[in-house]
Amino acid sequence: MTEDQQMLRDAAERYLRDNYDFNARRERVNAGEYMSQEHWNTMAEMGWMAMPFSEELGGLGFGMQECAVVAEQFGRHLVMEPVMDSVVVAGSLLTFEGVNTPSSLIEQMATGEALVVVANAEPDAAPSFINTHSRLQATEGGYRLVGEKVFVAGGGSATHFVVTARLNDELAYVLVERGATGLTVNHYPTYDGRSGANLVLDVLVPESALIATGETAILAFAQARARVVLMASAETLGAMEAALEATVDYTKQRIQFGQPLASFQALQHRMSDMVIQVELCRSLVEAACRAHDEGAADEMELILATKVKTANAGRHITQEAIQLHGGIATTDEYVVGHYFKRVAALDSWIVSRDEALDKFIAVVDAA
Amino acid sequence: MKDYNAFREEVRSFLAEALTPDLVRAGELTTSVFSDFEAALKWHKILHKKGWVAPDWPEEYGGPGWDINERYIFQEECKLANAPTVVMMALQMLGPLLMHYGTEEQKAYYLPRILSGEDMWCQGYSEPGSGSDLASLKTAAVRDGDDYIVNGTKIWTSMAQHSNRIFCLVKTNKEVKPQAGISFLLIDLDTPGITIDEIISLDGHVEQCQVFFDNVRVPVANLIGEENDGWSVAKYLLEFERGGHNFTIDIKKQLAKLRKQARKVKARDGKPKLQDPVFRHRLAEAEIEAMALEQTELRIKGALNADGNPGALSSLVKCVGTELGQRFNELSVDAVGQAVTPYHADSLNPRYEGKGPAPGYALTTMAEYINNRAATIYGGTAEIQRTIIAKQILKL
Repeated sequence: MTEDQQMLRDAAERYLRDNYDFNARRERVNAGEYMSQEHWNTMAEMGWMAMPFSEELGGLGFGMQECAVVAEQFGRHLVMEPVMDSVVVAGSLLTFEGVNTPSSLIEQMATGEALVVVANAEPDAAPSFINTHSRLQATEGGYRLVGEKVFVAGGGSATHFVVTARLNDELAYVLVERGATGLTVNHYPTYDGRSGANLVLDVLVPESALIATGETAILAFAQARARVVLMASAETLGAMEAALEATVDYTKQRIQFGQPLASFQALQHRMSDMVIQVELCRSLVEAACRAHDEGAADEMELILATKVKTANAGRHITQEAIQLHGGIATTDEYVVGHYFKRVAALDSWIVSRDEALDKFIAVVDAA
Repeated sequence: MKDYNAFREEVRSFLAEALTPDLVRAGELTTSVFSDFEAALKWHKILHKKGWVAPDWPEEYGGPGWDINERYIFQEECKLANAPTVVMMALQMLGPLLMHYGTEEQKAYYLPRILSGEDMWCQGYSEPGSGSDLASLKTAAVRDGDDYIVNGTKIWTSMAQHSNRIFCLVKTNKEVKPQAGISFLLIDLDTPGITIDEIISLDGHVEQCQVFFDNVRVPVANLIGEENDGWSVAKYLLEFERGGHNFTIDIKKQLAKLRKQARKVKARDGKPKLQDPVFRHRLAEAEIEAMALEQTELRIKGALNADGNPGALSSLVKCVGTELGQRFNELSVDAVGQAVTPYHADSLNPRYEGKGPAPGYALTTMAEYINNRAATIYGGTAEIQRTIIAKQILKL
């Protein structure tokens, strides 16, 4: 770890430990407050929103290695605010080389004023970043966008959406403001304490809202997919590690048959397996982020492997965590089940495990 | 920053010259941690002449003085070039232990003989009644003047049939708790009262032996460390058995071999097995595990380079490396199909020039599968490793 990374980790760890209490989080979730403006503002002050943006755009110029350090802490502390959804995923689409994004928007994202999320999935389109039936038609001074979007992560609190659509049979994406006339945002809570939204769109957007088309859009999405995987993997790593720690603590204290559960070898070995999986995942997450930042030749191989491995291990560990706790971990008031739910949601976030495995094979066999 | 590429080139050109076809053949036909003994000894002597037989030893004891990266490169290049493996018990285990615990006389006498290959050592730890519970061992050494009288038996003594010496854990005090009454003793195998029985393994070959001691006289001077301090000596040694190995190198080699096999073998539809989607997905999951292992071993190397302690990670990789190796063996057996079934011992002898019943790509597959079952048993079983992880990392 570099000094920057250590400082980021320590600052995130300290802030979240002291201020992001699980019980307070639970109260917020149960009250339907999946977004705390206060936390959001502090997170912006911590610099987390500015991490991936270049210094010219008001950012810190960090790579995925640094973002992953913070994402891991988000996983540990079950952060609900869609920071990475906005600054890393949407941010990546909005700052890709050759796209047309007003620099003022990036500045607003970096300061936390704007919260931008990607709206790509559709009811009838195969689940992929670039499949879309939504259509853009040129009109006077801009475009008419017609379509429907579903499962927009972070959609409940977004100020802007990056919406995919076809323009003259090419992939394109446009920026749509939340208040746009003709946009209906049907938002809902998610099982992992966040917000999602389904969108119905028949809106007119100005010409300047067209961010990218064709080859540029496709390449931008390829990069965003890689970053989604890295952030999902890093956050899963944090969640699985926290679930393991909770399990170790609990089994040391819980007395059955007159002795701590942790004294039973059958359980010790299962927890040892969990440790092994956490460490293997950590190695891959670090290596994949490094390969991405450095543009290494084996970047894609490592990123896809990381997705498969962390998805497998994340499920295994959070399921084991519930099993080793027993009944208590099936309740809403206990933390472990919430890691389990978050990990399940992260599994499905834009790039699935199975898709990554299939792509991994294609990449390896082509090499 | 050292120029490791130059070093790699130096190793490569040495191997290209020194590895004669008979040695390469022995390397290719290696189906366990041990190569054909004749070839292993020949290779040992060639490496000794070059000064490279003990990559991990410091220069003052006759090692090449390589850093960890150079040792890794050497290990990797040897594997890629199909070099036979040298017998490692003395080079990797006893040698470092003598450097740490041995007297000046012991070091001066034994270390050069290990390097030259004049002495072949086997390890006398396990007994028929003492496997994972090693401290329960019963082979007794009773003081008689300047000698011990040793009675008992040691089992799983790999290569004892080719060795002239054995390093043993013996019981020197039965009155105290088991760990406190053990001593570490060097014994010449030609001492009267010693018999060696060979054990035929599942693959039909002999690697393991059982050694019997019947009133064997051993000089007290052959003690390593203090009397009754053998347990800490042995624990120090086990760290070398566990920590000194790089599994990624072996697994990459297994993977390359497996891919080659799976391209040759036809699946049901007549296409190469490698294109069978069911097989390919199973292989991919294992490949991903291999990448995770590789990155973890690189983390360990990084920690060692930074003079840090890899701690927890070392105990992890023994579990992961051995179990993953076994998984690749299984995939290999599945890829090869029925061609794994012919048992033809001659085919695995590097000096055999005839043709056996199995195709070349399948010659070693079954024997490797069989022999590698031992990997999760020796050097601390997979279960013992998990107990170590639970105790040392999780503090359970």
